[in-house]
Amino acid sequence: MDRFTEHSTLTTVCAIVDDLIQDWGLELEEPVGAATLLVADLDFASVDIIQLCVALEQTYERKLGFQDLLMRDGSYVSDLSLAQVASHVEARLQQPRQDPS
Amino acid sequence: MTVRTLFIGMDGATFTVLDDLVAEREGGPVMPFLARIFADGARCRLRSTPNPLTPPAWVSLMTGRTPGHHGVFDFIRAEERGEDVYFTLYDSRDCRVETIWSIAGRQGRRVAALNFPFTAPPPKDLNGFMVPGFVPWRHLRRNSAPPDLYDRLKAIPDFNPKELAWDFEQEKQALEELSSEDRENWVRYHLPREQQWFRIADHLAREEAPELMAVMFDGVDKLQHQAWLYIDPNQQHGELSEYHQRMRSLCLQYFRQLDSFIERLVAAAGPQAQVFLASDHGFTGTTEVVRINAWLHERGYLRWRDVPDTEEGRRREDSMFAFLDWKNTIAYCRTPSSNGINIRVARRPGETGIAPEEYEAVRERLVRDLEALKDPVTGERIITEVHRREDVFPGDAMHDAPDLLLVLRDFGFVSIKNKLPVVEPRAQVAGTHHPDGVFLAYGPGISRGAKVARRKIADVAATLLYSVGLDVPADFEGVVPKAMFTTEHLHEHPVVEGAPTTGASTGSQTAGMAPEEKEQIMAQLQMLGYME
Repeated sequence: MDRFTEHSTLTTVCAIVDDLIQDWGLELEEPVGAATLLVADLDFASVDIIQLCVALEQTYERKLGFQDLLMRDGSYVSDLSLAQVASHVEARLQQPRQDPS
Repeated sequence: MTVRTLFIGMDGATFTVLDDLVAEREGGPVMPFLARIFADGARCRLRSTPNPLTPPAWVSLMTGRTPGHHGVFDFIRAEERGEDVYFTLYDSRDCRVETIWSIAGRQGRRVAALNFPFTAPPPKDLNGFMVPGFVPWRHLRRNSAPPDLYDRLKAIPDFNPKELAWDFEQEKQALEELSSEDRENWVRYHLPREQQWFRIADHLAREEAPELMAVMFDGVDKLQHQAWLYIDPNQQHGELSEYHQRMRSLCLQYFRQLDSFIERLVAAAGPQAQVFLASDHGFTGTTEVVRINAWLHERGYLRWRDVPDTEEGRRREDSMFAFLDWKNTIAYCRTPSSNGINIRVARRPGETGIAPEEYEAVRERLVRDLEALKDPVTGERIITEVHRREDVFPGDAMHDAPDLLLVLRDFGFVSIKNKLPVVEPRAQVAGTHHPDGVFLAYGPGISRGAKVARRKIADVAATLLYSVGLDVPADFEGVVPKAMFTTEHLHEHPVVEGAPTTGASTGSQTAGMAPEEKEQIMAQLQMLGYME
């Protein structure tokens, strides 16, 4: 995978997350970055994860198949780092798009 | 710029209640301004969508199209995948057709649409202002348009997004044991909430004066679901408990406040504005529970999955989603709010369900069985109507609809729980949706005191575009109810059929929901009476 492109995707993911949480009143010890965990660090509930998925799909103007990221072996994952989110997005962007949006 | 058209949505409003609230009584009507609208304006009953439910009905009202075309059938969209069903939430991207907000906006009319469901995420080319309904407060900023709107709203005195938006957590807690106190708090919760929406609408009407100004108050529906006993005028006789009287007084306080909001919004819009009010469906009382999946099990269409005797198994059993043995299930109800039955057809090798060539025969057998479900005492049919989807949901999106749509004899929503008996009386009457809502018009050019024959919900979209001075798109299923307008107005402003709509994006796959969110959403629906 192109590391420059992946870095750019991570930057986008972090920017969207920063935008998303700006009113939440979180007191973060470190800036949002690759190692930031959605649930443990940012207090994401599942509805927040859905909103993040929608925001990313809107940014990239395509569906990104987040169910494959959120589910592993038939169960929902308990937490995700922003690096994992960015990596998933990047992998999906390499694939041919499957929807008209 | 001035407001040409003011639209006020009142989720679930019904003449059964409103006629009582505008009636003269000691101290005057509860809703004196609405009484003036009734006297000086035009009114008619408004037939909702075939399943009179918030998602399909509001989307029809906003698009002038029926659900078979716009494609929004329920709160939750289910996708069968192999041995399980995954549930996702509908959002604005699932709507296959153009909304009046986009139609008006692209023709140079500035709009404001506040608290309408399925308007998030907002369209990128919105000409005006949008704050969506059904979105938690933490996501209002991103889902409001234009991007700087949220910061502007924060400057409105006493603006509080936590009061304004849906609070899933509170509603989840409230449902666990809906005591008298919980119910009372539920009503109280909606007083400041509606005030928040009013303040935004009032601010935008005065500061921006969009040509099409629209706001929806959904507390009417919420109160009626939980407090129908205290609102329905037919339930206010005999000896009423102190609690009953207190609840009624609180509910009337809500409607009194709503009346003042309507009056002040009409004043803010100005005397030149035509004013329309409508609901997505009406309301009535439901007196029994119908456990449709339990009935399907009895008839051999559905098999429950064995629940392991573990903590996780018990949690799964208590969850709101049917836990089914898919290999041995050929028909089931996915959500209570759908009031529908889905038939499982094996369309590809390896899929479970009936063979495609069996579909018609199985469906007809199911229809006959449903028609035969009768009250053992009176012999009356429990399910008064069984509709095949091609009859009620024709259109490109029909295949996303349930195969059968059911109408219960008391208009209630079915239960999908694994519990018997199949039909059981409720301990006390609860509110449920009635197919007939309300449609009112008021202001210049409106026929004074007109009582118009019942119209369809898709007609509202056509009416609003006409009122704001635009052609009615040729592909609209709704039409302008000319009887609501004066002859002079129609002469000066003839109804014109214009170019068809430009369509909407059709990409519609939202990501899967985590289990706790499913529970939150289902908890919300349970609060609203869609769940047993």
